[in-house]
Amino acid sequence: MTFELIVFYLFSAILVASATMVITRRNPVHSALFLVLAFFSCAAIWMLAEAEFLAIVLVLVYVGAVMVLFLFVVMMLDIDVATMKAGFIRYLPVGLLVTLAMLIEIFLVVGADNFGLDKFPSPAPAAADYNNTESLGNVLYTAYMYQFELAAVILLVAIIAAIGLTLRKRSGTEVRQQDPSRQVKVKKGPDRVRLVKMEAQD
Amino acid sequence: METIYLLIVLAPLLGAIVAGLFGGRIGRGASHWVTSSGVGLSALLSLYVLFGFVTGGLEVFNGAVYTWMVSDGLRMEIGFLVDQLTAVMLVVVTFVSFCVHIYTIGYMAHDEENWPGESLAGSNSYQRFFAYISLFTFSMLMLVMSNNFMQLFFGWEAVGLVSYLLIGFWSVRETAIFANLKAFLVNRVGDFGFILGIGAVAMYFGSIDYAEVFARAPELANTQINVWGDESWSLMTLICVLLFIGAMGKSAQVPLHVWLPDSMEGPTPISALIHAATMVTAGVFMVARMSPLYELSETALTFVLVIGATTALFTGLIGIVQNDIKRVVAYSTLSQLGYMMVALGVSAYAAGIFHLMTHAFFKALLFLAAGSVIIGMHHDQDIRNMGGIKKYMPVTYWTSLLGSLALIGFPGFSGFFSKDAIIEAVHFSTIAGSGYAYFAVLAGVFITALYSFRMFFLVFHGTGPRDEHAKAHLHESPKVVTVPLVLLAIPSVLIGFFTMEGMLFGEWFRDVLFVLPQHDTLARLGEGVHGPVSMVAHGFAGFALYFAAAGVFAAWYIYMKRPEIAERIKSRFGIVHRILDKKYFFDELYQALFAGGSRGIGKLLWSLGDRILIDGLIINGSAKAVGVVAGWARNIQTGMLYHYAIAMILGLLLLLTWFVI
Amino acid sequence: MQFEMSSLMPVLPEIFILSAACVVLVVDLFLKEERRVVSYGMAQISLLLAVLVTLFTATGERQILFDGSVVRDAMSDVLKIAVYLISAGAFLYAKDYLRDRDIFKGEFYVLGLFAVLGMMVMISANSFLTIYLGLELLALSLYALVAFNRDSVQGSEAAMKYFVLGALASGMLLYGISMVYGATGSIEFGAVSQALANSGVDKRVLVFGLVFVVIGMAFKFGAVPFHMWVPDVYHGAPTAVTLFIGSTPKIAAFALAMRMLVDGLGVLHADWQGMLVILAVLSMGVGNLVAIAQANIKRMLAYSTISHVGFILLGILAGTGKGYTAAMFYSIVYAAMALGGFGIVMLLSRKGFEAERLDDYKGLNERSPWFAGMMLLLMFSMAGVPPTVGFFAKMFVLEAVVSVDMTWLALVGVFFSIIGAFYYLRIVKLMYFDKPVDETPLSAGLDTQVVLSVNGLAMLVLGLFPAGLLSICAAAVG
Repeated sequence: MTFELIVFYLFSAILVASATMVITRRNPVHSALFLVLAFFSCAAIWMLAEAEFLAIVLVLVYVGAVMVLFLFVVMMLDIDVATMKAGFIRYLPVGLLVTLAMLIEIFLVVGADNFGLDKFPSPAPAAADYNNTESLGNVLYTAYMYQFELAAVILLVAIIAAIGLTLRKRSGTEVRQQDPSRQVKVKKGPDRVRLVKMEAQD
Repeated sequence: METIYLLIVLAPLLGAIVAGLFGGRIGRGASHWVTSSGVGLSALLSLYVLFGFVTGGLEVFNGAVYTWMVSDGLRMEIGFLVDQLTAVMLVVVTFVSFCVHIYTIGYMAHDEENWPGESLAGSNSYQRFFAYISLFTFSMLMLVMSNNFMQLFFGWEAVGLVSYLLIGFWSVRETAIFANLKAFLVNRVGDFGFILGIGAVAMYFGSIDYAEVFARAPELANTQINVWGDESWSLMTLICVLLFIGAMGKSAQVPLHVWLPDSMEGPTPISALIHAATMVTAGVFMVARMSPLYELSETALTFVLVIGATTALFTGLIGIVQNDIKRVVAYSTLSQLGYMMVALGVSAYAAGIFHLMTHAFFKALLFLAAGSVIIGMHHDQDIRNMGGIKKYMPVTYWTSLLGSLALIGFPGFSGFFSKDAIIEAVHFSTIAGSGYAYFAVLAGVFITALYSFRMFFLVFHGTGPRDEHAKAHLHESPKVVTVPLVLLAIPSVLIGFFTMEGMLFGEWFRDVLFVLPQHDTLARLGEGVHGPVSMVAHGFAGFALYFAAAGVFAAWYIYMKRPEIAERIKSRFGIVHRILDKKYFFDELYQALFAGGSRGIGKLLWSLGDRILIDGLIINGSAKAVGVVAGWARNIQTGMLYHYAIAMILGLLLLLTWFVI
Repeated sequence: MQFEMSSLMPVLPEIFILSAACVVLVVDLFLKEERRVVSYGMAQISLLLAVLVTLFTATGERQILFDGSVVRDAMSDVLKIAVYLISAGAFLYAKDYLRDRDIFKGEFYVLGLFAVLGMMVMISANSFLTIYLGLELLALSLYALVAFNRDSVQGSEAAMKYFVLGALASGMLLYGISMVYGATGSIEFGAVSQALANSGVDKRVLVFGLVFVVIGMAFKFGAVPFHMWVPDVYHGAPTAVTLFIGSTPKIAAFALAMRMLVDGLGVLHADWQGMLVILAVLSMGVGNLVAIAQANIKRMLAYSTISHVGFILLGILAGTGKGYTAAMFYSIVYAAMALGGFGIVMLLSRKGFEAERLDDYKGLNERSPWFAGMMLLLMFSMAGVPPTVGFFAKMFVLEAVVSVDMTWLALVGVFFSIIGAFYYLRIVKLMYFDKPVDETPLSAGLDTQVVLSVNGLAMLVLGLFPAGLLSICAAAVG
């Protein structure tokens, strides 16, 4: 067993374990943190496959940006964990059964019989000066230009959809909104601070 | 030219659509204007086409306008075949239709009186009537212009449909509903044969295009097929007989003639248009069009001949004892249709078509004249209540006289030429059954004269109406009614004289109607006849003319001079009178055998099959099964996302297990 | 790769629609609430101009561009034009409906145009990646459209379900594509097809991937058992959106199947034929049977869609040119039928009232004989009653199935379509033989009335003259 193999199995084990934890933890913050771990181990495996750029991007984008945002949202929301997990035990047997059947079928196909090294010999290692990022960039802006543009359009649509579905102009006194033009007009004195007397709450 | 042909067909359709769908909006005047002008345009264009053929300026047109679909190599197309035969039919159809349109303006003017006040169908009935007759014209034109069997069948059924609609036009009358049901059912029998015939053509010829079928006909002439068991049949005979069964239904030949007299329940204009001049002659037209097929089967020709001769003689006899003015004309129509079929049976197709044309004019005239009388008599149709109408309705009287003379074959009138040609053609024929047919058509001449003039004398001569009230209101019909009478009277008298030579013996139909040399009876007749005058002279040498004269005289003597003779004959030959009065008990027979029998079978099937098997097991059973499945599937559709997801995963598992493992 | 401007010409329709969507998006920002109709007009004009652009850039030859990412052929042109026209109809019907409900916003048309773009990409795709991106573009636009009425709880719920299930289906599709890539080493249809033709490719992995690909496609079609989202989404979405989802995406789904299964994995025909048989039979069965039990017309039409999908699949699974032609004919005709059917639903709806219950159709003939007639034509067409075009659509498909000796399948199809006729004819019965429950006169703009009439009459006209569209489809399939 080579060193590479050991590293691979190690990270794979961590990946599977943390992924399982993501869906079984009661606390959503824990789940999110386990997801971060899963991403990390995944990045490590990609590194093994000499996909350095993708590995770094995974860490930078998913761990650095997406997951942080995600955690932020999870912490701000008051999620009722109990109801979310209500059916968990009840459906567990069915779920396990289906999972098992699925696993068996996948293993039957995606096993060493079909994807072994004899079928898919490992590619020759790239030269030391091989630049992963550059070659990706080369195809991305030439051969895959059309798809690249499409991906951009999809992002645009996502932005439109997100804004369209969340931006609302509500009128009425109970809705508090910021009005920048009024904010900058604030003067010193009573405009800035107002003392309000309130009764103590329990 | 294609545009003109399309216009001929579509102008009436457009009128029908406008009057039918928007009749209520645009009102009566606009409705009859739009339909009449549509048909008028067709009539003008048809005349143009006819003159094109007469002067030789037009070529025969045979082409597809539109391919509807191609199924297993069978092309189904809308196409036109316009040749001399079609041109004649076009003019006959559109001209009579145009006259009828104008006539209808007067006849239906007070149609609202025929409907009970609250009847919903009574509103806009006037516009609907015009829409129907225009639609009929369209369908009839599609039929005669067709160049393939499918379109022929379409036109065939479409004219039938309009005919049923119009027979039952006054849908609040029980008799009208009965009559239209009867027409419908009897025609089903004929159409069943017809569609089988077309099916046989499609099956053995692999095409439903006239030209292709006719071209292949000679090579299939001696084909024998097994229809039932080991019996081998001549293919051509089978096809021809099946097609002719369709013609028997549509053209009311014995024994499928029973619907035509009852169809007189419809308004008179359509009796003239549909049940005298055009639709009922579709069978004659069809057989003439199929002459390349019929010529190849003498058996089929004999079949046509015998059926035609029987119809010609025996339905004429019934006409003598009828008292309803329209029914007399209806039986006369039956009899004349028999004559046309006889002509076809002896391969004198040209004579058949010629008689079709002359008959269309004078019979439409007689019907419209009868309608005019009916208007005058305030919808009393019993000729025993009439008499002496001559002085009140002079135009109707004179046109009726001309029509009747044409019908009985007065020398020089159009009916004379066509009928004499048929009789002589039968005389020359050697085909099996021609002896019987010759007897039948000769006797028919006497009978035709007898019933025509019986009616004529009873209606127009003698003492006036018995009812004083009716007498007081008796006056000539308005212009819209009498003008079409005059318009139709002209060709009734003259057309035979001018066209007989060309149509019967000349070049006109030579390339259109196919006649084997050994069957060509008209050619043999043509050897002795040179022009209309010689034909009249030839007529004086034959029997037919004297039979007709005897018939007129007998009518005058029995019904005018000595009315008591009629009574005496009636009591002396009670049985005969009763048989004729009951129309040989055809109706009773059918009623008992088919209506009663089928009702009995129906009841049996209903209780056994319907209630127990279908209702109980299939309908309720399947409804229950559907309910169970639907309820079950609704339960699956819980609205829960994870249920949906698991369903997808299970589907995935199912497919994986099925196809991969 | 050397970049050439000439390769932009064939994708001009896509570029045009993309630009149009962006222009509408920006212009809409500066429009006052009451001038919103300008965005609508611009969207409509762009769709109609797109027809011209497509026609003018059509060469009739099969062109493959962008390193095998895109294909432009006769089929793509025909399908695209059908998509433009039917989408334009959907936009038009939607206008009054949205305005009545105070959700007449430019975003509807922007998202609609993006969805059209997504469909165009799918129709012209020549690689798995392109088709996947087109699919996602379409799906994302549709998710947003379903939730368009933010105040509707039902709408949000439907959008959520659609989104989650859609993501699941996308995941499966991607997994399947990765398997195909693994086995053939390419994601471009031509190369995949070539690799498959060479023996030595591992069949088992391929079929394994194929199952996932077929499922991704079946989800898009809404074929049983991947149909669960259909009734809920059709029901929950605003009718204007349901109309859009129910019509054109079926054409895109047909293209999806044609491109992936025929262009790409055509060699595996024997394998996917079996899968489609199962999907088709289940879809026709479940769709028709469950539709009977529905009291809500939107749900009923949803199940009817499922059953029609079964018929489209029948044509595809025949695997012959005749079958593809029939399926293409069917999907275009179905999109037009669905457009008309939902159009009538919207015609009867008004401010504060959704004509969703079957009872709302009672006595329609007394309220508006003309539109009752149109609905009659549409229902007849869906049921497959001659001489409407629906009859021919079914007949061509069945003919294709019979011609590959699968007569039993045709019989199953006939059997279920007879059952299906029941619930279409029930609507006809309600319209003509029952007394109206609701007597409010119909209020619709002249444009809606005219287009709806054209839509309804088209069912009859196409039925009388089916050869034209059929020959176009036959030529497109080649």
